[in-house]
Amino acid sequence: MRLLLVEGDNTLRAQLHRALGAAGYAVDQADNGREALFLGDTEDYDAVILDLGLPALDGLSVLKRWREHDRRHPVLILTARDNWSEKVAGIDAGADDYLTKPFHTEELLARIRALLRRAAGQASPVLHCGALTLDTRTGRVALNDQAVSLTSHEYKVLAYLMHRPDAVVSRSELTEHIYAQDFDRDSNTIEVFVGRLRKKLPPQTIQTVRGLGYRLTAP
Amino acid sequence: MGSLRLRLLAVTVVTLSLALVGAHVLLTDLFRDHVLRQFDTTLSQQLDQLTAQLEFDANGTPSLSASSLVDPRWVKPHSGLYWQLDALANDRTLQRGVLRSRSLWNTELQLPLDTLPNGTLHTHELAGPKGETLRVAERSLATGQRTHTHWRLVVAADRSSTQEAIARFNQVLAGSLAVLGVLLALAAWAQVVVGLAPLRSVQRALHAVREGRAQRLQGSSPTEIQPLIDGFNSVLDLNAEVVAPARTQAGNLAHALKTPLAVLANAARDANSDELRALVAEQVPLAQRHIHWHMVRSRAAATTHVPGQRADIAPVVQGLLRVMNKVHADKAIDACMQGVDPHAAFAVEAQDLQEMLGNLLDNAWRHARSRVSVATHPTPDGLCLTVDDDGPGIPPNEHTKVLQRGVRSDETQPGTGLGLAIVVDLAQLYGGNVPLATSPTHGLRVSLALPSAT
Repeated sequence: MRLLLVEGDNTLRAQLHRALGAAGYAVDQADNGREALFLGDTEDYDAVILDLGLPALDGLSVLKRWREHDRRHPVLILTARDNWSEKVAGIDAGADDYLTKPFHTEELLARIRALLRRAAGQASPVLHCGALTLDTRTGRVALNDQAVSLTSHEYKVLAYLMHRPDAVVSRSELTEHIYAQDFDRDSNTIEVFVGRLRKKLPPQTIQTVRGLGYRLTAP
Repeated sequence: MGSLRLRLLAVTVVTLSLALVGAHVLLTDLFRDHVLRQFDTTLSQQLDQLTAQLEFDANGTPSLSASSLVDPRWVKPHSGLYWQLDALANDRTLQRGVLRSRSLWNTELQLPLDTLPNGTLHTHELAGPKGETLRVAERSLATGQRTHTHWRLVVAADRSSTQEAIARFNQVLAGSLAVLGVLLALAAWAQVVVGLAPLRSVQRALHAVREGRAQRLQGSSPTEIQPLIDGFNSVLDLNAEVVAPARTQAGNLAHALKTPLAVLANAARDANSDELRALVAEQVPLAQRHIHWHMVRSRAAATTHVPGQRADIAPVVQGLLRVMNKVHADKAIDACMQGVDPHAAFAVEAQDLQEMLGNLLDNAWRHARSRVSVATHPTPDGLCLTVDDDGPGIPPNEHTKVLQRGVRSDETQPGTGLGLAIVVDLAQLYGGNVPLATSPTHGLRVSLALPSAT
């Protein structure tokens, strides 16, 4: 899952970057509105955390322009402005959630999980695929209630696929959403992670659709 | 007198009446004067004619040939036109009617005894043979013979014809002046109405400001009134200028403080000391509460005394419902606002209504199981808005407690514990209140009673 973190305050951005990374997200960062607008327009993000008080271009304008450009990624506004009139303005500009500072990191993470889930059309925080379960709140993966031990990259690949069960996900799409922008990407490593995952999961859980990518189906 | 219009009209009508009465008196006098002068002129001409006809013989006996007088009234008895010749002896005995017109018949003109210089003309009034008022012209004559007798030739005519003319003139004049007066009064009334019309439009504009339909006095007025409107608008602008920075500064301060607080809270999470973590976890929310509390209060305190505030309820509720549906997307709440009168409005600042209602709806969403309904009800003092949820509700004996600052009804739910207290505080600034009750679905009913905007 790849996120865009737009925050004007350097210290807070670094803290959030660390916390989000620890929670298993690939995170791109922007510290001003113009850069945020460009990244949101050109890259595919699973969700965006957007501060409103930004240099160069304010967050509300960035959000409005994304929506005008038909960029549909879920946006969580994270701001110190906590008047209800500002919340209404934010939601009406196209935001999907609104969290005010100061906040508990746990609440932010929970809201991002919920946003990603809703965007994928999933109602429960625990994703199911046959006997395979993935609890987005704890990052726990289980097969027939037996915990499956995964590395962080294996988890990221599986989580992305489990948000889109039965859909064909290309290798490049997986790469896009597993790694942050500044990461040295190599799509071949995806094959390595998928290979390792297959060894830990029942056969045929991750199918290869020749020439198109991978598909997760119930084992 | 309260009304400017009445005052102007009264002054105009009184002045007009005085002027018209004065004109009537003056014109009547002039006319009477003119008629009498005409009458006197005729009398004196007749006197001249008689004087010319009067002859004296060698004894000094006067005679006047009646045939030379053409006016038939000289001979018709009591016709109203008479002449008479009196003799005034040196011993001041008066012999009236030495000669007289036939019209006098057997009467005489009873003129007072007065001596006049020879040849002078003299007029006065006298009762006639029928009791009519006669206008008399008399002239003293001396024959130049040694009889030492002065003669007085008198011509008298009934002046009732002049009185009739004067009376008719008076009547016509009075009627004309009355009509003129009415027309002038109508014109004055029209002038007052037209002249004061801009004041009415100013009154309407003020009404619009008071009702919150306008922020300034709208429309242009005549040059005499425009400075008043401009002055009033600049006062309103000044008021708004004072309020706007107060809001912005409160917002800026909040923004400036909250990001460092977030940084601090996040940094503390990674700290090694449990004590520090606990301390920061306790103090940061406390600081946040204080910021929010004082921000809302300072902003509201600056706005509650601005005139002409109006917040339409329906759009505010709709906007907030959009927020609730997003922010609480994980709770499937059925929101009902059918009971909201689409035209209802509170006489409060729109952002303050949003703040109050936002907190109420947020609470309702947190505690409701499946349904939240919003409705408005007119009350004798204004308007009441109710927010009902179907959650667990609050026992009536705890209602007072939850309205206090920082008390949270449910410690398991996130929140600052300030929501209701902020609502109560804001409502009280506007002279309203926030009673709690049990909703029909056994949840909580929070009412927001505030002054209504007409």
